[in-house]
Amino acid sequence: MSGFLPLALDALNYTSVLLLVSIGLVIVFGMMQVINLAHGEFFLVGAYAVLVLQGLGVPFWLTLPLAFAAGGLLGLVCDAAILRFIYHRPADTILATWGLSLAIRQAIVIIFGPSSQQVVAPLTEPVNVFGISYSSYRLAIIAIAIAVAAVVFAVLYKTAFGLAARAAMANRPMAQCLGINTRRLDRVTFSLGAALAGFSGAVMAPLMSVDPQMGMGFVLPAFLSILVGGVGSPAGAIWGSVVIGGSTTAAASIWTPVIAQIIVFSLSIAIIRFLPAGLSGLRRK
Amino acid sequence: MLEIEGLISGYGKGASVLKGIDLKAAKGDRLAIMGRNGMGKTLLAKTIMGLVRPSAGKVKFDGIDITGQHAHSVSNMGMAYVPQGREIFGDFTVLENLRMGVIGKPGLTLDLDRIYGWFPILKERERQRAGTMSGGQMQQLAIGRALIGRPKLLLLDEPSEGIQPSIVHEIAEKLRMICAEEGLTVIVIEQNFDMVEILAERVAFIENGKITGEVPVVQLAADPDLITRHMGL
Ligand SMILES: Nc1ncnc2c1ncn2[C@@H]1O[C@H](COP(=O)(O)OP(=O)(O)OP(=O)(O)O)[C@@H](O)[C@H]1O
Ligand SMILES: [Mg+2]
Repeated sequence: MSGFLPLALDALNYTSVLLLVSIGLVIVFGMMQVINLAHGEFFLVGAYAVLVLQGLGVPFWLTLPLAFAAGGLLGLVCDAAILRFIYHRPADTILATWGLSLAIRQAIVIIFGPSSQQVVAPLTEPVNVFGISYSSYRLAIIAIAIAVAAVVFAVLYKTAFGLAARAAMANRPMAQCLGINTRRLDRVTFSLGAALAGFSGAVMAPLMSVDPQMGMGFVLPAFLSILVGGVGSPAGAIWGSVVIGGSTTAAASIWTPVIAQIIVFSLSIAIIRFLPAGLSGLRRK
Repeated sequence: MLEIEGLISGYGKGASVLKGIDLKAAKGDRLAIMGRNGMGKTLLAKTIMGLVRPSAGKVKFDGIDITGQHAHSVSNMGMAYVPQGREIFGDFTVLENLRMGVIGKPGLTLDLDRIYGWFPILKERERQRAGTMSGGQMQQLAIGRALIGRPKLLLLDEPSEGIQPSIVHEIAEKLRMICAEEGLTVIVIEQNFDMVEILAERVAFIENGKITGEVPVVQLAADPDLITRHMGL
C-alpha cells in the first residue's frame, strides 16, 4: 500500500496534465483536421511565461491564468497569421505548424538561452495523505488540472458553443448550412487549445527543468493519447490520457523510463490496431 | 425570392457540371427540379447554399446577391437546406439536432412546440440518439431542424430517397401544409413524382448542365410520358 499510493498519485498527476494538453490537440484536429505540431511550443511558452513573470515578482498562482492567456493569445496570432490561409489544405498545415514550432523554439533559445532554468514551486512542504508523505504541489496540480478539464468538458458538452463546436467536428459543411460560422469556431478552439497547453506548461514548470525541449515530453504522449482515445471525440482524450498516463507512470516505476516508453508505444499500437477509432469507438459499436 | 442567372459550377478543379443554369422562384413558389442521376442537382443545391463556389453566374436571394457568400451567411439570411442523405448529427440526440437549427442564428428561440406539432415523433424521440432512428424519422428531423430556424426558403434535396411510399406521401402532405401555413418558398430536388405532385406546382428539368424546360405539375400528372421525355430517358 505504501508503495502503491504515491505511484497512483504520480499517475494521476501526469494523467491530469496530459489530459489538458491532449484536449487542445483533439479539438483542433477535430475542428480543422489540423495536426498541430506546434502544440508543444504553446506548452513551452506557458512555462517560460511563469519564469518571466516570477522574475518580475508576480506571485506564482497569478502566473497560471496569465500563462493561459499567453498561450491563448499566441494561438490567436498563429491562427490569424498562418492557419487562416491554409487550414483547408491539411498536408500544408503539418509543414506550417512544424515550421511554427521550430520558430517559437528558436525564439525562446535566442531570448532565454538553450540551458535549463528553474521555477520556484509555490508549495514545498510535503503533506500527509493516508499515512504517506507526498508533495503538496503535486496534489494541488491534480486538483487544478481536473477542475480545469471539468470546466472545459462542461463547456464542450453543456453549452451552445460546445454543441456548435462538436457539430462542426462531426459535419462541418452541415454546421455551416445551419448558420454556424465555422471559421470563428476554428479560431476560438485553436486559441483554447493553445491556452490549455500554455496553462499545462505553467503548472508543470516547477516540476520540470524549464528548457526549450520540455514541450516534447508532453506533446508526444498527448498525440498517443488522442490516437488511443479516438480523434473523433473530445471525451476520447480522457480515456487516452488515462491509458497513456497510467501505463507510462506504472512502467517507469518498475523498469526504466526508456523501457516504459517502448511498452507504452507498443500498447498504443496494439490498441489502435484493434480499435482504429480508438477507445471512444467502443461506445459507438 | 431566388434568381439564378448563368450559373456555372463544378466540383474542385474538374470540368463544369452546371453549364449555365437560369432559374427563378418568386415568394411562395413551390418549384421542383427533376433530372437523371449525376446531372448536377445536388451540386446546384450546394452552389446555391454557398458550399460550392460557382465559377460564373449569379445567385440572388431576396433581392441580395449571395454569389460566393459563405454557407453560414446564406443560412442566416433565411435559406434552409435539407441535404441529400439528410446529414443529421447521428451522435447527437434529436433535441440537440433541433437546437443546432437555431444556435447559429442570433435572436431565435428554440420553439420546439411548433416543430413537435408538425412532427410528433420527434417529441416522442426527443432524447434518442438521432443516428438510431429510421430513415423516415431522420428525414422528419432534418426537415424540423431546417424549419426551426424560421427560413424564408426551404431547399430540399431528394427528401423521399430511401423512404417507403406511404411515409413519402405523409411527409409530402405535411410539407405542403407547412408551406401554405408559413408562406414558405420551396425548391425541392426530387426523382419521386409522388412527392413532386403533392408538394410542387411547377417542375424544372435539368439535363447536361442546363435547365431544359419548365412544366406545370398538373400537365405532368395528366401526361406521364412528358416526364420521361423531359428527363431524356
Ligand atoms: N465530390 C465530388 N467530386 C468530383 N465530382 C463529383 C463529386 N460529387 C459528385 N461529382 C460528380 O458531379 C456530377 C454531379 O453530381 P451531383 O451529385 O450533383 O448529381 P445529382 O444530380 O445530384 O445526382 P443524384 O440524382 O444521383 O443525386 C456527377 O457526375 C458526379 O459524379
Ligand atoms: Mg443528388
